[in-house]
Amino acid sequence: MDNDLVLWIVVATALAFDFTNGFHDTANAVATSISTRAMAPRVAVALAAILNFVGAFLSLQVAATIASGIVEADMITLAIVFAGLIGAIFWNLLTWYFGLPSSSSHALIGGVVGAAFAAEGPDAVIRDGLIEKVAIPAVMAPILAFIVAGTGILVTYRIVGRLRPSTVSRSYRLGQIITGSLFSLSHGTNDAQKTMGIIFLALVANGNLSTNSDIPTWVVVSAATAIALGTYVGGWRIIKTMGSRIIKMDPAQGFSAQGSGAAVILAASHAGFPLSTTHVISGGIMGAGAAKRVSAVRWGVAGNIVVAWVLTLPAAALVGALTYLVVHLFGDGAAGPVVVSAVLLIALGVAMARRVGQGQTLTAEG
Amino acid sequence: MALASIDIGLLFEVVWASALAGAVVSVLFALVVLFGARSAETRRAGHGTVSMAYGVAAVLSFAAFMGLVVYAVNLMLSKG
Repeated sequence: MDNDLVLWIVVATALAFDFTNGFHDTANAVATSISTRAMAPRVAVALAAILNFVGAFLSLQVAATIASGIVEADMITLAIVFAGLIGAIFWNLLTWYFGLPSSSSHALIGGVVGAAFAAEGPDAVIRDGLIEKVAIPAVMAPILAFIVAGTGILVTYRIVGRLRPSTVSRSYRLGQIITGSLFSLSHGTNDAQKTMGIIFLALVANGNLSTNSDIPTWVVVSAATAIALGTYVGGWRIIKTMGSRIIKMDPAQGFSAQGSGAAVILAASHAGFPLSTTHVISGGIMGAGAAKRVSAVRWGVAGNIVVAWVLTLPAAALVGALTYLVVHLFGDGAAGPVVVSAVLLIALGVAMARRVGQGQTLTAEG
Repeated sequence: MALASIDIGLLFEVVWASALAGAVVSVLFALVVLFGARSAETRRAGHGTVSMAYGVAAVLSFAAFMGLVVYAVNLMLSKG
């Protein structure tokens, strides 16, 4: 009974993370399309939500472990997973509040690393894995996307530069619908799987499933629904940052950032080197802007984004570790997760009530 | 030493494959726009045959671009 309660708390927390993952990463697919008026905001997020939902069903290659190769898998417990999720949700909400795009995957890895460190000590963390799977891709993704998108927009201007601007803009707006859709589908096939993996892991750890079992349909449907709902709600603050605060982009630049970004993500993924969608699209936007004119990029905003990327892992790890220590104070039963969840839900409720009380809507597009 | 575990060959592959894929995407769609616009211009100028040739080039470029998109979706679904 006690174990089942912990299990369902972990499942609910995983779905909450999935929701924040959706609304945090909506910007990756729709920010450039909204900014260049390729699509109306609500149409863009609705399309992204549908494609995220569909994407979640298309690929069920779910890893049974999270942060595999980064923390020792046999040391992971439900309490560590719970604390790691809280760390990731905290960082997703904080960066959303400040309108900063950051990697949800790195936040999740950070949360789990911090919780595992607090629970088992430094032996639980695989240092080579952290460098290979987090640090190097985090440095490489934006630089690569910057160069590829910058080169892409220079080639584009060279080919279409003498055409009427209205014709070029109209055509590239159509192209953006295709590349934006590709991004959303890719996001659904990737990110919903993380939540499915966490829930599957929890079910195995609790003895409800064996490691060889198929993913239950309710897990797939609930993970797909949570990420699609999050995407539809839309992280408008991040959309605003990516769409108009880094550069003021034209449709060709928007296409170049998205098209080159999709090419970089898929080429890297095909080579067995997955990169963060957020890092790639942010680097792509900066590259598409800087290639036209270096001063077109608001480097102060870009700098804030890079600082958020650097802080993602340690900040999520710190919150994950603190959460684990609080949970551990209440012993190995359900009391710790229940108390932490209740406190966080109350805090979230108060924050939302204050926001509504100040006359701000929760999902304002502005 | 942690850095010893980095596969330089893999990183190099990621760089060239990404650069190539990005360039091909940009060039193909730019050609769609260029040939489409030229087709419309020459049609308005009364050059039917030239317009058709540009139109065919635009359609072929678009087909190649969509082929890449389909390949990309296939890559997404086949990743393991």
